[in-house]
Amino acid sequence: MKVTVEQIDRQREEELIVRCHDPGEAWVESVREAASGQRTVCGWREDTLRRLKLSEVFYFEVVDDRSFVYTQAEIYEAKEKLYEFERLCAGSALFRCSKSMVLNAEKIDYIRPSLSGRFEAVLSNGEKVVVSRKYVADLKRMLGV
Amino acid sequence: MRRYVTIYGIIMLCTFFMCLLFNPASELPVVTYFGRIMVFTLIALLSLAVYYSKEELTVKAWWVRTVLHLLLLEAVLLPLAHCWGFWQRGTDILIYAGFILLAEALWHLVEYSLNAKTAAQINERIRKNRLERKTGKE
Repeated sequence: MKVTVEQIDRQREEELIVRCHDPGEAWVESVREAASGQRTVCGWREDTLRRLKLSEVFYFEVVDDRSFVYTQAEIYEAKEKLYEFERLCAGSALFRCSKSMVLNAEKIDYIRPSLSGRFEAVLSNGEKVVVSRKYVADLKRMLGV
Repeated sequence: MRRYVTIYGIIMLCTFFMCLLFNPASELPVVTYFGRIMVFTLIALLSLAVYYSKEELTVKAWWVRTVLHLLLLEAVLLPLAHCWGFWQRGTDILIYAGFILLAEALWHLVEYSLNAKTAAQINERIRKNRLERKTGKE
């Protein structure tokens, strides 16, 4: 495939044109996501595969070696391992919050301490998840506290 | 380090009140006293290993380990304190055991209040970010 990169003046708007045989091909979709700055993760639910934007994801959890993606009201099964998902989320609002979970900081309504020395995050959909103290430093850094 | 200082302070307080109430005339060489408190603190810190787990602890598991931690502290610190002359008679052991229980409770209280402060800072930032996002959209 021929790739052409043209440098333009700062005054002109940046543009990406993809000339392809099939706009539905996976690589075209990947280019579209990269250009729009949106990363996605694939999730299965009732034999249907859905591409979920990271901004839709509330949290990602591993339970008994199976990975799940939680959105506002739905749960999808994913094939990524925790470390793979963590890598995918690098630089986004998602952060590792415990040994088995990656949480979207933008979905946190508020956070409160628990007697067990950890924190409980109440999400915007009312769900409560545990944030280990070990990872609270990452959340503070991410938020600029 | 913060934990070490916290535990050190709590043990110092407990020892002070123990001596003040039950043996106000006791005299201990300063260096020996501080050295022993340091050893107590180190033991208390090492005993925190009972909380170690590969999986995230459930609330129930945390309570079980907290009880185990307390029992471990009592089992190690009571004989050591007796050996160093912090308590002598039979009834003193109950009071000293009570002080260890109090120290454990105080430590959790300090940790909780520090966590509450952190949570307040995070909530404030979340609130500001939400407000910025809202005003940015408008």
